[in-house]
Amino acid sequence: MAAAPLLELRRVSVAGRGGVPRLEGVNLVIEPGERVALLGPSGAGKSTLLTVANGLLAPSSGEVLWQGEPPARSRRARRRQQARIGTLWQDLRLIDELSVQQNLNAGRLAAWGWPRALLNLLLPLDTAANAAVLARVDLAAELLGQPVAALSGGQRQRVAIARLLRQDPTLLLADEPLASLDPRLAASLLALLLAEATPPRALLLSLHRPDLLAGFDRVIGLRAGRVVVDAAAASLQGAAGGLLQELYRGEDREMERETDGESNGQSDGQSNGAGDGLRDGAPDDPSPTAGAGSLWAAPDQ
Amino acid sequence: MTGGGEAPALQGAASGHNGGAGRRILLRPAAPLLVLLPSLVLLPLLAILPFLAHGGGLDLLGQFALAAFTPSLDPLVLRSALTGLATTVGMALLGWAASLVLGLLLGLASSRTLWRSCWGQLWPAGLIRRLLAIPRAIHELLWGLLLLQLVGLQPVVAVVAIAIPFGALVARVVADLLDGLDTGRLDALRLAGAPAPAALLTALGPPLLPGLLSYGGYRLECALRSATLLGVFGLGGLGTDLKLTLQSLEFHELWTGLWLLLAVMLALETGLGRLRRRWLMPRRLGLSRAGGGRAGVGVRAREMVLAMAALLPLSIGVAWALGVDPRALLAWQPLQGVGGSGWIDGGQLLALPWPALIGGTLALTLLAAVLAVGLPPLQLLVSAPWPPARLLVRLSWALARLWPPPLTALLLLLLLQPGVVTAALAMGLHNAGILGRLLAEALADGSPANEQALASGGVGPRLALLYGRYPAIARPYLAYGAYRADVLLRETVVVGMVGATGLGSQLLESLSSFAWDQLLALVAVYALLTLLGEELSDRVRRRLLQGA
Repeated sequence: MAAAPLLELRRVSVAGRGGVPRLEGVNLVIEPGERVALLGPSGAGKSTLLTVANGLLAPSSGEVLWQGEPPARSRRARRRQQARIGTLWQDLRLIDELSVQQNLNAGRLAAWGWPRALLNLLLPLDTAANAAVLARVDLAAELLGQPVAALSGGQRQRVAIARLLRQDPTLLLADEPLASLDPRLAASLLALLLAEATPPRALLLSLHRPDLLAGFDRVIGLRAGRVVVDAAAASLQGAAGGLLQELYRGEDREMERETDGESNGQSDGQSNGAGDGLRDGAPDDPSPTAGAGSLWAAPDQ
Repeated sequence: MTGGGEAPALQGAASGHNGGAGRRILLRPAAPLLVLLPSLVLLPLLAILPFLAHGGGLDLLGQFALAAFTPSLDPLVLRSALTGLATTVGMALLGWAASLVLGLLLGLASSRTLWRSCWGQLWPAGLIRRLLAIPRAIHELLWGLLLLQLVGLQPVVAVVAIAIPFGALVARVVADLLDGLDTGRLDALRLAGAPAPAALLTALGPPLLPGLLSYGGYRLECALRSATLLGVFGLGGLGTDLKLTLQSLEFHELWTGLWLLLAVMLALETGLGRLRRRWLMPRRLGLSRAGGGRAGVGVRAREMVLAMAALLPLSIGVAWALGVDPRALLAWQPLQGVGGSGWIDGGQLLALPWPALIGGTLALTLLAAVLAVGLPPLQLLVSAPWPPARLLVRLSWALARLWPPPLTALLLLLLLQPGVVTAALAMGLHNAGILGRLLAEALADGSPANEQALASGGVGPRLALLYGRYPAIARPYLAYGAYRADVLLRETVVVGMVGATGLGSQLLESLSSFAWDQLLALVAVYALLTLLGEELSDRVRRRLLQGA
């Protein structure tokens, strides 16, 4: 029997302000070993989806399953579930007042008790393990004693990834880790993350740029809180200049339709249907444009 | 021992930061740990408490606690409590308003910027600054008791007792704010030929106002606490009722007054907090930039000026209602024996156990300060997983900060023997309530991002708080703690009656035996000590904030 999916969302909805849902009826399954890109314009609900996935936000309705189990009732058991999920935040969320070593050890906090957590604030702990994860992200062990505040932007990104490796989660979530990075740095960081996402791990990474999809197995497109694309990455790339190009080309057309739709209610049914068509994964589908295009047409909020 | 344990720790952290990667320092506590270090004082404290307890008053203390749920609702009791409360609030308001006026004038007079631009001289500013340190160094209670001897029990005594030290404090803040401002605009206006006062008002008024009002609002809270305290020592108002009901063990009536006071205090704090946000004023701990770039100064300024203008008729009305008459200050009563030959007995003065008195005062200050700084972060940490417990902690802080320390001391005496520890507990708990509120405010203003990130990775709520929140607030919080220690030194006089040692208790004793020469000497030593403490705490504070 195959292992349970690392993450499963069933009809997950998250209410938003003013009656506009942040997520609506999202279904999603992530299997071990999968590398999934989460695409969508800003405001589409990518960050919301990731915070639902890591348990920070409880959905208004629908179910979240971690390795086939719902979030545990008991706090302790639930924390054990969450310890298996690691998030790379867009703003990194490093603790600026602490050293690199202490930040890396913060990745172990869920597993540690109080004595070690306090000792970490007093003494250098687990130097060998920390040096090892730093090496995996191409940083020198000399950085361990440095305060995080003294690092360069690129170094901070790598330290955040190294902290994730210290946590050693099975499900890696990353919230636009490549935004606001120069292209070379973005490519090398992405390569790092993809390399770490080998079975039994899986990676769900949200991003803005369809040009960085090369290493992914699957692409999920989100628009206005709904999944409108869920397809194998290969199928998207296979139609050379096809599907992805269409995603862009549809933009202007969809803009107009979008404004129409807003004036007389909603045009969701249409885009949803198209999304389903895509999920069926017909690479030679002559017109897979409607839903995919609207993915890029949703107005930035 | 506890204070000594803290200082090297701070140094260790500082040198750890600058030392770089190569150097291994055996112990170098990081920021979040620094916040928790002072709470280590609880260990020795809990160890010795059983030896101080005398068991006798345990059931009385239980009755006191239970009475909280059944305050007396007798109309007579209610009316008396309300009258007392009105008097206390009135005295606080008047003392506060007077201190603002006094402080503004004296602050201008001790501003270097002002002297330089108007008269081209700096030394008068320095001189006035030094002189102002003296009224500031003497606690309002001392002023109150001294004035009480001089002019008798008059409503004006409490008002002036608050106004003098508060005015000197406000003056210092005003002068610091003024001298900290960029004087470029002022110079430009002066060069353009504007007369000095007009140039000052134009260039320095607007940037000064928010900081001043924020601080002024905070002083009003302090004034309410002080007015209650003065009442405990017989200067009228609710404090007097609280003390009498406590001494006669009428706990139900006591709680009637206490709950009313709590309601007023919380209303005042929330009201001032609202105004602070509305008028985009900076918070005290200085962690967050209020406003976040919203421009609204023009509209708000009108409201601020209107509010200030409304203060004058309000003050006059309150003064009339309370019978506060400044002329009473001029009618001095002759002090027994003062001025006669040999009223100063040098031999007897030297016979006072000065080292023990000073040592006791310092020990009391340190113990209380460490307790006050150490308790709140620990309480928050312990209660982190349970929101109701956290609410309880915050309620206990609110009660602690409005409940005057001498009354806590009286309560503790039901259980403990008099002495430094009992006095320090009383002061420490009161100030923990003040620091706790600041801590909660700072946490509410800070970003929850790190704490949430840790929680989402399965870290428990306590460790998430320690690692996610405390690092950012550690240094500003401890810096404020250093300032609080300086305030505590001044405040030790307040619990003099239970501290078997220390200047405070000797002072109250000399006062009640009309030994004026002793009193004078004690006040002078007290003031000197406070000035030294102020200097020291300033240094510690600067160092803490620089290290950040």
